[in-house]
Amino acid sequence: MKTSLTTELHEKIREVFTELELMIGWEAGFDALHTTPVFIRSADDVGRLTWGLLCAQNLTTYLGKDLTLMAAARESNKKIGICVKGCDSRSIVGLIQDRLIERDRLYIIGLPCQGVIDWKKVAARMPISGISSVRIAGQEVIIEGAAGERRFDLQELLARRCLRCLYPNPLISDCVVGETVAPRVKKQDVHQDVAKIEGLSLQDRLAFWQQELDRCLRCYACRNACPFCICQDRCIAETRDPKWLSQYVKLPEKFLFHFIHAMHLAGRCTECGECERVCPMDIPVTLIKEELNKITAELLDYEAGLDVNAVPPLVTFNPSETGL
Amino acid sequence: MTQTDSAPAEARALTIIGFLCNWCSYGGADTAGVCRFKQPTDLRVIRVPCTGRMDPLFIAKALIKGADGVLVSGCHPKDCHYAVGNLYARRRLEVLKRFLPFMGIDERRFHYTWVSASEGQRWQQVVTDFSEQIRKLGHNPGVDGATRPYAGPGSSQPLKIIELARAL
Repeated sequence: MKTSLTTELHEKIREVFTELELMIGWEAGFDALHTTPVFIRSADDVGRLTWGLLCAQNLTTYLGKDLTLMAAARESNKKIGICVKGCDSRSIVGLIQDRLIERDRLYIIGLPCQGVIDWKKVAARMPISGISSVRIAGQEVIIEGAAGERRFDLQELLARRCLRCLYPNPLISDCVVGETVAPRVKKQDVHQDVAKIEGLSLQDRLAFWQQELDRCLRCYACRNACPFCICQDRCIAETRDPKWLSQYVKLPEKFLFHFIHAMHLAGRCTECGECERVCPMDIPVTLIKEELNKITAELLDYEAGLDVNAVPPLVTFNPSETGL
Repeated sequence: MTQTDSAPAEARALTIIGFLCNWCSYGGADTAGVCRFKQPTDLRVIRVPCTGRMDPLFIAKALIKGADGVLVSGCHPKDCHYAVGNLYARRRLEVLKRFLPFMGIDERRFHYTWVSASEGQRWQQVVTDFSEQIRKLGHNPGVDGATRPYAGPGSSQPLKIIELARAL
């Protein structure tokens, strides 16, 4: 997918590449429907980078999890370049708030984003083997597959997280490639999906989660893809001391694992939706964090990943609060 | 607990877990005992150094694993032995309390409150009221599908749940 934006991206990166330790971005994947993350360490490789509808992965996950990246940048006195969409930029803000990364060591390329395609939605509509190109024309996505060309409305193929995205434009960046995008939703409609669940009776809600979480394999892909799950080997889902979860494969362990992930993200989750995107069992796990974000917004008037100077509400307190 | 206990539900006693802070509520419970106030016996007390020690996951785990109720009690806000522990705690506990029903767990099974060491009478009231509330709610159905079977193809799960899952 070579677009003028991609070319502009290459130019912007080449201008500053001497200051960079490495550049984290996306490149073409194993087929035309996928992109894959790439670490560019030489200026000659900048041309491999791509940007478009298929750049779904939140690359900021690497920054928090691999602290050797920051250490290397500090040693060489250079910066780490990273491409971020609107949602990813909130993760950057969150990571800076958590003091896991340093703003001065980053060169952030902001990419206003009109949403990314959920390949599973494509797979539900056409065979995905032999897809040769994915293009966008206005609000229409044109996919050339083995059995000819298909056209879809962009809205139809967008990931669920993009359909409820309030921040398509990067909130923090050193340079921006592309023009500002208007959000798809109004603020009051962001929580429509969780509202559907809240509309169920208590029993039905339990049944809903029993049905969904029963499929959970506890593969921990959601945790691994999460930019804020940075405990690594010390994640209490896996440690034996303290022992929170057993090896049993029944629902209580699955519920508890998702409680662990959710509670550790309460007031920190920036709703990048990676947990849901990577789930091999298609469990809508981001819903759990959306609900917690709704609660922290209502109760503590806080939205994560917007302000680098804000303190996440559950690691601070306010003595004059009442009603708790 | 629900998974292991084969006795009929009515015959089993209630399991209510109480997390009490060492400095106030544990003392308050002690005061109530010394004063010989009559209290229900369903509560099992776990002493914590401060409600600031309360990981909301303690409560989540207890309820998921089948406890019928969880009570957390500490010093009154602004009266914490460690000055601010309960100020952190109240935010976390309130967030959890509002979150539980989303996952299908009855939030009435969890209660947090503040009881000082001298408030023996208040402690008696808190325990009595909470135990009564749990007794009304009955045993915790748990999350392990005892109440409803897994919704495979052709299951009798209410249609709207399956539809909702597909729509998301």
